[in-house]
Amino acid sequence: MTAAATGRRQQVPAGPPERRIKRRRLLAALPYLLPAVALYGYFIVYPMLDSVRLSFYSWSGFRTEVPVFVGFDNYVRLFTADPVFWTSVRNSVIWVVLSLLIPMLLGLVLALGLNRRMLGRNLMRSIIYIPGVFASITVAAMWRWIYNPTLGLVNQALEAIGLGAWTQTWLGDPKIAIYSIFAASVWQAVGFPMILFLAGLQSVPPELVDAAKIDGAGTWQVFRNVTLPALRPTTVVVVILTIINSLKVFDLIVGMTGGGPAQSTQVLALWSYTQSFTNHSFGAGGAVATVLLILSLALVVPYMAWSMKGDDK
Amino acid sequence: MSAVAATTTRAAEADELRRRRPNYTGIGLWLALVVTSALWALPFVIMFFTSVKTNPDISANAPWALPTEWRWANYADAWHTGNLGTTGLNSLIISAIKVPLGLLLAAGAAFAIARIRFRGHRVVLGLIAVGSMVPIQIGLGPLFSTMLNLDLLDSRWGLLLPYLAFGVPYQIFVLYGFFRSIPDELEESARIDGASTLRIFLQVILPLAKPALAALFILDFVATWNEYAMATTLLRSQGNWTVPLAVQSFSTQFATEYGPLNAFIIMSAVPVLIVYLMFQRYFVQGALAGAVKG
Repeated sequence: MTAAATGRRQQVPAGPPERRIKRRRLLAALPYLLPAVALYGYFIVYPMLDSVRLSFYSWSGFRTEVPVFVGFDNYVRLFTADPVFWTSVRNSVIWVVLSLLIPMLLGLVLALGLNRRMLGRNLMRSIIYIPGVFASITVAAMWRWIYNPTLGLVNQALEAIGLGAWTQTWLGDPKIAIYSIFAASVWQAVGFPMILFLAGLQSVPPELVDAAKIDGAGTWQVFRNVTLPALRPTTVVVVILTIINSLKVFDLIVGMTGGGPAQSTQVLALWSYTQSFTNHSFGAGGAVATVLLILSLALVVPYMAWSMKGDDK
Repeated sequence: MSAVAATTTRAAEADELRRRRPNYTGIGLWLALVVTSALWALPFVIMFFTSVKTNPDISANAPWALPTEWRWANYADAWHTGNLGTTGLNSLIISAIKVPLGLLLAAGAAFAIARIRFRGHRVVLGLIAVGSMVPIQIGLGPLFSTMLNLDLLDSRWGLLLPYLAFGVPYQIFVLYGFFRSIPDELEESARIDGASTLRIFLQVILPLAKPALAALFILDFVATWNEYAMATTLLRSQGNWTVPLAVQSFSTQFATEYGPLNAFIIMSAVPVLIVYLMFQRYFVQGALAGAVKG
């Protein structure tokens, strides 16, 4: 794909000066570009920028009240007097790190396994992927039932195999609640990296694998020296999507704990929402949102640099 | 040429050799995958069993036990409690308009950026790509105020506008990669035949992007059907609710109706499962082609 793109040359017909052509091109492009860009700009980008603006104001969100400019007050309060903010930062970071470790690696292993011909391959792929098409809010409800302290699957199964001492109030204990939610997210989310890796594996040249085997390479060496390098573009995409999706986690937490117990499962996206709508402080909510925006951009921009490299025309 | 042929024969021989002795690694791997799949299917089994159990059955017996009495009426209860007649219709109308229209708008923009290549197209692409990576929740507060000022709060038609917008950046980003890979010659020969830009877009470029469009259609339908954060922010009255908002109807402060709740979860996923199965074969090819070199 890249080779095709860079190998092409735009043909500029001789005659009218280039600038006029460029202006005509812009005019021709506008009807195609404008509807999408206008909707996106007005309903997504503008509210995001407005969040940044509001983070410097004190405002309850009610139309009758006028926002009051307060400078950096919201940020000072956030960093020095809001322990829940730091819990949210910690949980968001934990979520990103764990997501990179567990669902991504598991997705890769499953893709490698399910890429081989075997009995029931398509069925197994579907079973792993289907949790991903369920709404997170329904997955949350489902797993609240699975984690039910007395009747739920997890504790009942532990009792049944004689590990009754291991039973927990999975969502009621502030020390483990966030990990309990994360386990549900692994169940739901592992299919997507698996599908992407499976797609990536189709681009591994089979001749190369055969050649390596004939040269005496073992399974691990083939994986390390042939498969893995061929998967590099896929891996970068999966890493970035995993990070971004981790920062977006919202529905699952709302549905399973609402951020509790004792705010121990708050994450940045939910804490911003809670500040704005529950605590009626759009300023504080905006400040949390701004932190989340900066964090996201810090992770996205390097990816953009990679993705656009070698596509310069 | 002969080297390649020799390589393949030798590979075939190696394969043959491997086939002759039992492949313990293969069997072990297969068993591991079967166990994993069974583990992944377990929550669905529990969900289904619970969905057809009576309340006393749920509190008396293990979740993996077969129902003592199959109570299919839970599904009727779930339909009523979740108000599926209304919420389901709301979700269907919103998805049926949003998904194709949003995809068309995104395709138009991607066409402009990738094929018309006006001045500054790379800046526009960069901004859109960055936008596709930023969590939507950042703008929820001001989005609420914007919709309030437009008098579009708590309105299904109002919800359509931000919905149309939310999938657009990712779709543009993916389709851009696809459109770029289409050779110029195709477009030029159509132009020589007198085709207009619109004709080229609709009859040359769009048909070639079918696999990518199909993959994006699944992803966007699933995302729209399941969308919760914006809906819960912008919709208030139950008559306007979409399906994900109706989940909360099953829990009161004191108890959760687990039978009907699980029945509701199963019913709520039927449309996405249908779409997923219909478009499945496009999914692996299309999703990956776009996502891997977006």
